[in-house]
Amino acid sequence: MTKPIIQLLKQIREEDMTDELGALTTIFTEFYYWITVVLMFLIHVGFCMYEVGASRYKHHQHTLMKNTMLIPLVTITWFLFGWWIYWAFPTGPGLAPSIMNESAALITDESAFSAKWYLPNSDLMAVNLGDHISGVFWAAFLLFAWTAASIVSGAVIERITTFAFGICAIAIGSVFWSIDAAWGWHFDGWMLKLLGYHDAYASGVIHAVAGGFALGILAVLGPRIGKFTSSGEPRNIGPRNPWLVAVGLFLIYTGFWGFYAACNIPIFDLGPEYGMEGVTYFTATNIYVTPTTLGGITMNFLMSLSGGLLTGYVIAKGDPFWTYSSGLAGIICASAGNDLYHPIQAMIIAMIGVVVAYKLHYWVERKFKIDDAVGAVAVHGYAGFAGLVICGFVLNGYPSSGYNVGAMWDGTTYAAINPLGMFIGAIVMFVVLGFIPGFIIAKILHGMGKLRIPREVEIAGLDYEIMEEARDDEKSVASATR
Amino acid sequence: MATVTNWIDHLSASEVQGAIYPGVGTEGILVILLVCIWIGWHVIAGRQESEEHQKLARKRHGPNDWKSNITDG
Repeated sequence: MTKPIIQLLKQIREEDMTDELGALTTIFTEFYYWITVVLMFLIHVGFCMYEVGASRYKHHQHTLMKNTMLIPLVTITWFLFGWWIYWAFPTGPGLAPSIMNESAALITDESAFSAKWYLPNSDLMAVNLGDHISGVFWAAFLLFAWTAASIVSGAVIERITTFAFGICAIAIGSVFWSIDAAWGWHFDGWMLKLLGYHDAYASGVIHAVAGGFALGILAVLGPRIGKFTSSGEPRNIGPRNPWLVAVGLFLIYTGFWGFYAACNIPIFDLGPEYGMEGVTYFTATNIYVTPTTLGGITMNFLMSLSGGLLTGYVIAKGDPFWTYSSGLAGIICASAGNDLYHPIQAMIIAMIGVVVAYKLHYWVERKFKIDDAVGAVAVHGYAGFAGLVICGFVLNGYPSSGYNVGAMWDGTTYAAINPLGMFIGAIVMFVVLGFIPGFIIAKILHGMGKLRIPREVEIAGLDYEIMEEARDDEKSVASATR
Repeated sequence: MATVTNWIDHLSASEVQGAIYPGVGTEGILVILLVCIWIGWHVIAGRQESEEHQKLARKRHGPNDWKSNITDG
């Protein structure tokens, strides 16, 4: 099973900048990912606008700062250890041997895709004429990490401390998203081999895990003051600026285009990759090195968005907040298999995902008194979970990876996509790497007295002093005569 | 600090050296600096936030007091 890996190395890592076609392929790939990173930045802009729109006036500026500061925190920790984790952990460790070195240990050897090259002191983690791709790949994965952290951010607004959120953002962005990507979003991941896990556009590895993590924090953090009546009935604390919410969600949709493109390898010769003698076949592939097309996934993106919007409008009786969120939930639900679905299948799956997310949101809110301020657990967590389960049925029997074209270390092949494996995969994402770590970290922060802002501050408003100063400034300027 | 002083010599070498940033070999020190900045930020920002909250909490404002601070721009 070493032959395909050698080819992968040749095509991606051994850049030949003296050959025009080879150089063009490298520069195209570099530019392709660079564009996706710029587009994905809009996801974060959208999340910031959305959160501020959903928060109350007296908390606006702190809400914005909380989400904004995850950018540098996740970035520097992604540089220090997040990217290394992705390349080191595909084996578990200890769960399934790597197809590169047949060891189940952390992948830190001399092989082409070893984590060794992505230690923060590696000379590949900088401007390097021998490696054009790693930097933009690092950045694309980092933008995914921001998204995971930003999903959590919305759920906990108006009562978590910025300190606690910073720790949580690093945990989900630079640790747990990175582990889950290594396990289920890597050509060598153990979840592909043993479970037949398939999650092309991250229903689970971004959305279910972040939704589960947010739910874990919410279970400890508690609801905003006033969210529930004394008899336990939930009160609606609707968005204070629906226009900002609308624009924010449109921007998230826009950034999601970049996200989809970033999940692909744009041009790849699968002939030698699959060990087919004399066969040349260039195509786009997903992260698992199985073929798809940018055109096809674009159709599926739009049809699943449409399915989500249509269902959200009806189920929420025209409520704009839920209709926009349902568009997103629809895409998220279909994302696991959007590399292969028919567009109408993608649309129907999206519709199912929205019903699941909407119904579960209100059931969990009433039953467990969970105050998910923006519906993040529902839109990302429940829709993502449902998307993985549905994918197991609809894509049942498809290869989970481009590398189940031959025998692995023990003579077996990668497991094919199957319903049970995808269900277990969904549990791994939402519960094992999402809910449980979120709950434990929140418990520790709570125990330190660092999780929640003081009650008096929540009542007064996080921005009280900033607003007071602004008022005094305005008075002094207004009374000035020169 | 300069890793490259002549691009022609650099690119015509039998094996082109990839790393071209200044101070190749000092990456370990840079990483230690980054870790110090990272941890230091949490300590300083966390302390600032706690002080801000304690100060505001002592004033015990009511839930609608903030409305008197709204400016008209």
